Amino acid sequence: MGDTRAKAPPGELMPGTLDMLILKTLSRGAMHGYSIAQFIQQASRDVLRVEEGALYPALHRLEVRGLLKAEWGTSDNNRRAKFYTLTAVGRRELDEEAAYWDRVAAAVTRVMQTA
Amino acid sequence: MNVRSIAPRIRALFRRQRLERDLDEELAFHLAMREADYRSGGAAPADARHAARRRFGNVTYLKEQCRDMWTFHPLETLSQDIRYALRTLRRSPGFTLVAIFALAVGIGSNTAIFSMLDAARTRALPYRDPGQLVQLWGNVQRARVERRGTSYPDFRDWRTRARSFDDMAAFASQLLTLNDGDEPERISSESVSAPYFALLGVQPARGRTFSAAEDDVARPTLVAVMSDGLWKRRFGSDPGIVGRSVRLNTRSYTVIGVMPPGFNGLSDTAELWLPFAVYAPPASMAERGNRGFAVLARLRPGVTIDAAQRELDGISKQLEAEHPDTNEKRAVEVSPLDVELVGSLRPALQTLMAAVAFVLLIACANVANLLLARSEARRREIAVRTALGAGRARLLRQLITEGCVLTAIGAVAGLVMARAAVAALIAQSPVTFPSFVTPGLDVRVAAFTILVSIACGVLVGIVPGLQARAVDLTDSLKDSARGSDGPRSQRMRSSLVVAELSLAVVLLIGAGLMIRSVRNLAALNPGFDPSSVLTLHISIPRATPPDANPPASAAGAPPPPVVYGRALLERLRSVPGVAAAALGTDVPLDGNAGAVFYSADGQPPANAQNAPRAYVHRVSPEFFDTLRIPFVHGRTFADAEAVASSAVAIVSARLTARFWPGQDPVGKRIKFGGLASNNPWLSIVGVVGEVKYRGLPDNPTADPDIYLPFADRNQQVALAVRANVPPSSLVAPLRAAIRGADPSIPIYAVAPMDELIAGQTAQSRFTMWLMGVFAAAALMLAVVGIYGVMAYLVTQRTREIGIRLALGAAAPDILRLVVGNGAKLVAGGVAIGVAAAFALQRLISSLLFGVTAADTASAIAVAVLAGVALLACYVPAIRATRVSPLRALRYE
Repeated sequence: MGDTRAKAPPGELMPGTLDMLILKTLSRGAMHGYSIAQFIQQASRDVLRVEEGALYPALHRLEVRGLLKAEWGTSDNNRRAKFYTLTAVGRRELDEEAAYWDRVAAAVTRVMQTA
Repeated sequence: MNVRSIAPRIRALFRRQRLERDLDEELAFHLAMREADYRSGGAAPADARHAARRRFGNVTYLKEQCRDMWTFHPLETLSQDIRYALRTLRRSPGFTLVAIFALAVGIGSNTAIFSMLDAARTRALPYRDPGQLVQLWGNVQRARVERRGTSYPDFRDWRTRARSFDDMAAFASQLLTLNDGDEPERISSESVSAPYFALLGVQPARGRTFSAAEDDVARPTLVAVMSDGLWKRRFGSDPGIVGRSVRLNTRSYTVIGVMPPGFNGLSDTAELWLPFAVYAPPASMAERGNRGFAVLARLRPGVTIDAAQRELDGISKQLEAEHPDTNEKRAVEVSPLDVELVGSLRPALQTLMAAVAFVLLIACANVANLLLARSEARRREIAVRTALGAGRARLLRQLITEGCVLTAIGAVAGLVMARAAVAALIAQSPVTFPSFVTPGLDVRVAAFTILVSIACGVLVGIVPGLQARAVDLTDSLKDSARGSDGPRSQRMRSSLVVAELSLAVVLLIGAGLMIRSVRNLAALNPGFDPSSVLTLHISIPRATPPDANPPASAAGAPPPPVVYGRALLERLRSVPGVAAAALGTDVPLDGNAGAVFYSADGQPPANAQNAPRAYVHRVSPEFFDTLRIPFVHGRTFADAEAVASSAVAIVSARLTARFWPGQDPVGKRIKFGGLASNNPWLSIVGVVGEVKYRGLPDNPTADPDIYLPFADRNQQVALAVRANVPPSSLVAPLRAAIRGADPSIPIYAVAPMDELIAGQTAQSRFTMWLMGVFAAAALMLAVVGIYGVMAYLVTQRTREIGIRLALGAAAPDILRLVVGNGAKLVAGGVAIGVAAAFALQRLISSLLFGVTAADTASAIAVAVLAGVALLACYVPAIRATRVSPLRALRYE
């Protein structure tokens, strides 16, 4: 079985970016899938509108890899929902990916401005 | 795949249903939230649901993707393969049963023998850190190195000088008479130095063991430690046993401790322990030349046996320089304790291990053959699967899984068999296993069985697997009618059968050799006639002055007046059924003989290497007649000579041949000790043939025997009674006769002479017996194998045979054709097997006696195999001749 990271979510997102966005979103605290989708959409001012379903394979992948921990809890409207939190490993991964993203984004911006 | 994610994936395998439920609920939650969101935005319920779904994407596909995250593919496929294998096996129950039976026999016998071998390993010794324990034996370089034991002064010097050891303890076992209660009893005891128990790491259950003060040889203290068994049996588990006094031989000992259950010392039979100081009188303990016991020692951590041996070699040199008269050419042998205790079991068990490995190989070849035949039948199935895209690796894995499923079932059946077999084996074994050798199904045995079954599974799966590679897709798919057999798989099958047959030949020849060896051993002339002879041992109480108290009233009072040996003999002769009776200090094979140095009149001066040594027996005049030991010269003792003081001797032929070859030895003189000693000269009155006195097939050393007149002052007496009724029926009347003479005489070690002889050949008989069983199993499996192949061949060639018959071939031609085919395989198997047997016989030479593979036994073994194998070919051949040409041509 190949690494499932290769199967990047469809849409405008660059491969691997979704994982980072999820990790970043969860750094604010425990959330269920729906609110993660909402948050990404709102925080990006509707620029990043991921196909919502694609969120879930990513969440499960991150859980299996031990970056997230999942627990069943109760949502604001009193329904049973699966809440995800970052693990220590997940936090480290987020730091690494964020740093990498910063470098790449800055580089891309520089190239775009220079050329 | 990320390494870290394997564990959660494997865990997920076992909670698949929950994961599935969770996933459904999680996605449903998301859809419901989105739907609610749309509805609060004013959408109609149906529109809201559709919009939510659209925005979410393909639910089924996404679920599949999520599930994928949790799947561990290798295991997933494995469980699929196992289910498939079980289905396939269920579909052909006949094949499955035969295969499982063959594997159960193979794996079961391997497990059984392995568990015995494993139980006889070093770590099984019930002592602390047994790998560091050694025995030290004094030895002397004569014709070859001979073990002799050591003397107390030598032991003391080893102990103070050697640095390789934590500590040392002298120990010697002997029989004592326990005179406590109604009936005197001979008890096996060990005299041991104080550190003995600590060296073994065994603590007393009650009281204590010997102190350093009680170890002082100059001042023997009469204390004793007893075994749990003796305490329970003779003293009713008396809680006040410590401090009580018991009467052993003629002295009273204070009990100071009781050992835990199961501990019977290094002899494995001891029920009492005495301080080593009471082993012999202080005067004889002080003699450096008075050697006779072994020493237990514990190597310091990190010291090897070689290093210890080198150090003791140096110390022996020092002692030789310091005490040339007693220590000339004396050395020490350092021997690992496990070799001393279970080493003798190992050659037989290792041979048997090889034998069962052969049986297992044959079983595997058989099952592989069956699978191969079936894979031919399954060619279409395999071709279809290949056509549908199954990779070769996947197919091979499927076949190996099938093999492993078969062997796993076989292994379970084998374990059940092994469990029953091992208990029966140990119970029936003519070899005495030490009490601590208790084979069981422990972790190591289970691991062994699992490894063996996996190896077998791979082996039996890979054979048809290799075959599957050669499948030609188009041909196999087209070819539904003519199930003909490729030359390649035919070759494979034939070579498997040849391999099976040759392995069976090796085992049969091995079994034949063992059987011949045992026969040779049994037919061996021991130098006397052991049939109808009963031996018993008594201990005649020391004559003591009459006591004031009657014996019954006082515990430990001296025994009543003694009946001396000669008078006793008269009583025994009057017992009906007794043809002759004799007494002596020992009888052949009872292990009680002791050796002394002697000198012959006119011999050249001797040194430690060639000083003549002989075993001395004091016997009554009837001894030779009773045991039918033939006289070469002269006569037995005259009645007048049958007293201890008479200066006459009867010697065995080897002695006179050494000093007076070709001369009449009667009247020649010998004496004990060196030529210069003060011992009186003894005149030889008779010469008898050599007797295998100390072991079969031969005495451990070539020293001759010297017989002296029996002296009534000997306390330990061996009786030999020749019966004209079955000897065991005489046990009760003889006991009664002895008790009638003196009830205080303990009687022990009662055994027909045949039994003593059997004890000497136990190892060979044990191996023979099991080899026979395994060879029979091998023969059976090999015959099933060749039968299967020939039967299959006939089925395959039904059409061809039909054509031959239609074209006018007669039944005998067909018979010849089929049997000829089989005969080629048999011939090949026999040729390879015989060659292998010749190559391997060296490995079991220590178990053989007077036979080689070039023996009629081997010829018989080979003939049996060839005969049975050909018979197995004959049955399908007969069937082939009955083929109706019409039906054969329409066949399939």
